[in-house]
Amino acid sequence: MKPEPFEIRIDAAEKLEGTAEYIRDMKVPGMWYGKTIRSIHANAEIVNIQFDPHYDWSKLTYVTAEEVPYNVVAMLETDMPFLAEKKVNYYGEPILLLAAENSELLKEAEEHIQIEYRKLPALFDMKKSAESEIKIFKENNTFKEIKIQKGDLNKAAADADFIIEMEAETGYQEHLYLEPQGIIAIPKDEKIEIHGSMQCPYYIKNALNKMFNEKIHVTVIQSVTGGAFGGKEDYPSLLAGHAALLANKCKHPVAMFYDREEDVQFTTKRHPSYHKDKAFVTKEGKILGLDLNVILDGGAYCTLSQVVLARAALTAAGCYFIPNITINAKAVATNTPPNGAFRGFGGPQAIFALEMLIEKIANELKMNPADVRKINLIKEGETTATSQILKYSVSAHETVDDVIQRSDYQNKHKKYAEHNKRILEKILNDEYPKENSDQKLKGIGVSAFQHGAGFTGTGENVIKGKIRVEINNEGKPVIFSAQTEMGQGEQTAFQIILAKSLNINVDDVIMSEVNTDLVPNSGPTVASRSTMIVGSLLVDAGKEIINQLTDLLNSENPGWKYEEGSFINNGSEISFIDASKKLAGLKIEKQYEHPPIIKFDDINWIGDAYPVFSWAASVAEVEVDPVTFEIKVTKYYTTHDIGKAINKDQAEAQIQGGSLQGIGYAIYEKVKIENEHYDIKGFADYIIPTPTEMPVFDVKIMENPYPYGPFGAKGLGELPLVGGAPAVLSALWMIFGKEFNKIPVMPEDLLVLFNSNQKVG
Amino acid sequence: MNFEFLVNGKNVSVDVNPKKSLLNILRDELNMLSVKEGCGKGECGACTVLMNGKRVNSCLVPAFQLNGAVIYTIEGIMDWQSYKAMEKAYIEFGSVQCGFCMSGFLISTLSLMNENDNKISEDEMKWKLGGNICRCTGYTKIIEAVDFLSKQNELMSKVKRDFSNAFIEKI
Repeated sequence: MKPEPFEIRIDAAEKLEGTAEYIRDMKVPGMWYGKTIRSIHANAEIVNIQFDPHYDWSKLTYVTAEEVPYNVVAMLETDMPFLAEKKVNYYGEPILLLAAENSELLKEAEEHIQIEYRKLPALFDMKKSAESEIKIFKENNTFKEIKIQKGDLNKAAADADFIIEMEAETGYQEHLYLEPQGIIAIPKDEKIEIHGSMQCPYYIKNALNKMFNEKIHVTVIQSVTGGAFGGKEDYPSLLAGHAALLANKCKHPVAMFYDREEDVQFTTKRHPSYHKDKAFVTKEGKILGLDLNVILDGGAYCTLSQVVLARAALTAAGCYFIPNITINAKAVATNTPPNGAFRGFGGPQAIFALEMLIEKIANELKMNPADVRKINLIKEGETTATSQILKYSVSAHETVDDVIQRSDYQNKHKKYAEHNKRILEKILNDEYPKENSDQKLKGIGVSAFQHGAGFTGTGENVIKGKIRVEINNEGKPVIFSAQTEMGQGEQTAFQIILAKSLNINVDDVIMSEVNTDLVPNSGPTVASRSTMIVGSLLVDAGKEIINQLTDLLNSENPGWKYEEGSFINNGSEISFIDASKKLAGLKIEKQYEHPPIIKFDDINWIGDAYPVFSWAASVAEVEVDPVTFEIKVTKYYTTHDIGKAINKDQAEAQIQGGSLQGIGYAIYEKVKIENEHYDIKGFADYIIPTPTEMPVFDVKIMENPYPYGPFGAKGLGELPLVGGAPAVLSALWMIFGKEFNKIPVMPEDLLVLFNSNQKVG
Repeated sequence: MNFEFLVNGKNVSVDVNPKKSLLNILRDELNMLSVKEGCGKGECGACTVLMNGKRVNSCLVPAFQLNGAVIYTIEGIMDWQSYKAMEKAYIEFGSVQCGFCMSGFLISTLSLMNENDNKISEDEMKWKLGGNICRCTGYTKIIEAVDFLSKQNELMSKVKRDFSNAFIEKI
């Protein structure tokens, strides 16, 4: 389906024609290249660093930990250094930086550095982290612990007919944005200018201000960014620090460009998780209580783990109304690179574990999995795990009903079970299961999921995002915000929001460069917050511009009214652009605060965890080859309630792309630790879906408005990913009737499952 | 060592290490920045260019294979008669997100249109674009654009003409 003309992305043509300037396309005279010298152990003391005294170091610059003015990357904790000083905590941890005119020199120089270590045993098991004798973070390796409590589990236990228990696990996920990380630092007198591929320019500015003890003015400018998905939220602060340290010392612009291998080996991944859950259920399938325990593997430093954990804990009860609930969640340290932000931010792990528990309830009660969900879905007026009363824009039932009906789930569920019977029997009897080459096992699975839009808890009131709209000499409004375009369509969405508020053409709205010297801090581009939170400020700014213009016109000649893009007075008409030229130079600033009805206690974890939730449900149709156990998602239906689609075409695009990342998370994308480091080097050994793995997507957008969002819009970016894995695994439960509690699921896992069956049966 | 070949219709001569990749030659020596490096190992397709009428991953082509070759990148393809229709479809079907894989997809699309008739099935289309990886879009809107393009007879002939003008007798 083709988009409406106003939905056409402003960045599309230049990206197709190759003129969009990504960081590696920037030409900087006199630029040098930087290189990171990294630890070759996961846990070790640095005994000595030796620079070969016979080597000519005059053509290079190097930076050691001792030279870093303040050796802490500013994030939530103060545990992560820019360069390791005496001790390394993960394989690949940066120890030294080198810069030179070309990479040949860097390669040569690296051979003349010797680092002597005292190797120590390393910790990789998150379940053993808190009690381990290996200490990575404070006394008990625990970055944060969260307890959420509602009602009384004893009561649930007394009233329940069944207690159903399950453990679940999720693996790493690598972002694999097409453009690897890259930053250029340019030293200029008392100033340093950072250009690069990034999500959060003000995070970088803050980290570098602190690193230089506020002694150098730091300007951060975003380049065209080739995908991020959370991977360019926290990591660029470290990378920009490295580039700036080198540039500041050698007085040349310095580029830190990671190649694919360095990027996948040493940058952040999605937190692996472990869950141990218990459900107290009636024989009708009603869940009376949940006892949920979550551990997230944070890696060697805290970075964002505390807030990833918060979202995991706050999402753990999913789309369901649970009267009695206890959630214990903790994020712990291990000797791997720090895990960081990834689209969904703890949500995909939490929803996966819960949805698999629902599958187990359905399986043990011999109920239909969609029915178990429907019995327990939350409604307006009911409370979440944090006792948040859902007052508006709740679509758990509506999205599930819609996707079940559109996909013909119930009929296909019966039909496919019948179809699979003969094939499964043959496999169990060790007979060749295929009657013809197309014959596959067919499954259909369902997931219900949600995503709290905007920062968790009081976060938005801490950030207090600010935007500015200026009227230029041509009478056109220019948006100044720190929100970044990374592919998701933020620029086009912002143009549409302001243009609709003003009732003018989208082409008449101009976007400023994202440069910290020009734009106010509207907060980071994360947490599905840009459209909903920052977009609402644009609507406010639009209203104020119209008011000011009306007042101005009326002060000259009363009676002006604004209607459909023009000011009208007694038969006279002035277009917005002509009128607003009179206000050229006007600057309007807007700052965000939560609507006063939203209150959260982040000590006891009670109250409005999020201002609103976006709701969704998916149905995945899956085929499994009975000989190779290859798994393929053939059709993927999904219904998303996002309040209002600002750009329907690109909202669909987000849903398709995010869903496919969720499918990848379920059945393709796998990272293991071997010899103390990740076993992946790029696209060949970390498999993401290619065009041939693309299912037919059937996307429906539902619009249940949020009263405080721009035109009713809620957050969208992360939501689609969250429901992919549970829908696909629900289909595997259906085919095999066995417990699936771990992602990713690979063909070899299905083979093992089958072999173990044969032994039993 | 010196290598002479045609890039976007113009004779070029570069003095580089014979192992230097076409990708790096195009970007570093010839300023053809539409060509992107996503992996440098022939795995992702972001650096796809046309060489002697066929699409190649330019990161896998060493300089020593280049003497006499005819290379086209988006910078040159933009002047082809068929280009605008292709760009328009990609824009109007909402196929672009971060954009980093896009020049590769456009070139694979052209190649697919050159090598097939208008009856290409969707599965075949996906298979033939299978060497190009995109992490943003879920491919649906890309496939929709390509499907739309490959159903236009006149455009298909235009693409074939552009290929023969660009490559035949020059190789």
